[in-house]
Amino acid sequence: MSFTDTDLIARVLSRGDQHAFGELVRRYQSPVRAFLARMTRGDTHGADDLAQETFLKAWQKLQTYRGGARFSTWLFGIAVNEFRMAGRRRKELAWEEVDESSVEPEEPAAARDCHLRLDLTEALKLLNSNERAAVLLCCQNGLSHEEAAQVLDCPLGTVKTNILRGKEKLRQRLAIAYENYESA
Amino acid sequence: MKIMNPPETNDPLDAWLREQDKYIEDNGFTARVIAALPRRPRAWLRPAILLGATTIGSVLAALWLPWGNLPVLDSSALFSLDSQVLMPWVLVLTVMASLVWGTISALEWED
Repeated sequence: MSFTDTDLIARVLSRGDQHAFGELVRRYQSPVRAFLARMTRGDTHGADDLAQETFLKAWQKLQTYRGGARFSTWLFGIAVNEFRMAGRRRKELAWEEVDESSVEPEEPAAARDCHLRLDLTEALKLLNSNERAAVLLCCQNGLSHEEAAQVLDCPLGTVKTNILRGKEKLRQRLAIAYENYESA
Repeated sequence: MKIMNPPETNDPLDAWLREQDKYIEDNGFTARVIAALPRRPRAWLRPAILLGATTIGSVLAALWLPWGNLPVLDSSALFSLDSQVLMPWVLVLTVMASLVWGTISALEWED
């Protein structure tokens, strides 16, 4: 028998059931870790630390989850906050700001088989953190624009603008990569 | 995960982005999170304390309340509002009501 998220959350709240919370973690660890790995520009260890903090915060604040939004949306909101707080703690801009000169097209000649996958990681580096977050949440994780606005705590129009800008940058970067790939 | 942006579903870039989203194996991540969880206050502790206190209160009430010396409560005494007659009964009823309330609260405790 498979429990719904709501069932599991109720068990955690009423009994402090760690097994129920573990099931929630198992369900959502992949999208949360993948999202944070993209946000941290491929720093998988840093992303996993942030993901762990995200789930610990979720455990502590679960009674504030009202069920109005999907549980995944609520989790992404915590993940974004953790990412932003970590950026401020580190006082380094490696995750936050984009140095476009450092990510100009460079051919991963030895890795043609995973060419497009590498290109996505590289291409996402062209986006600033707000554009990256909006594109990843809406285009990859299936959140609506309204949900993304809630997660990112910004106006709906800002989300739409960030998605348009982000996708345009991705198209340009991927077009170059794809042309190089075709001509190779 | 359910896709919530119908206007974008025909965009090849969106489709390609979703293709790139591969499942990440757990590899002990969930176990690490569970091991790091702070202990929650035990959910059963508060109702257990309440039930224990109620039981002790019931025993004390049974032993110490002046069951044998309670004045007869007939209609004339009831309507006379004589405090000598009414106060012992008020005391007994208050204690009994508190014990019943404590027992019900302890049994119905959910969080």
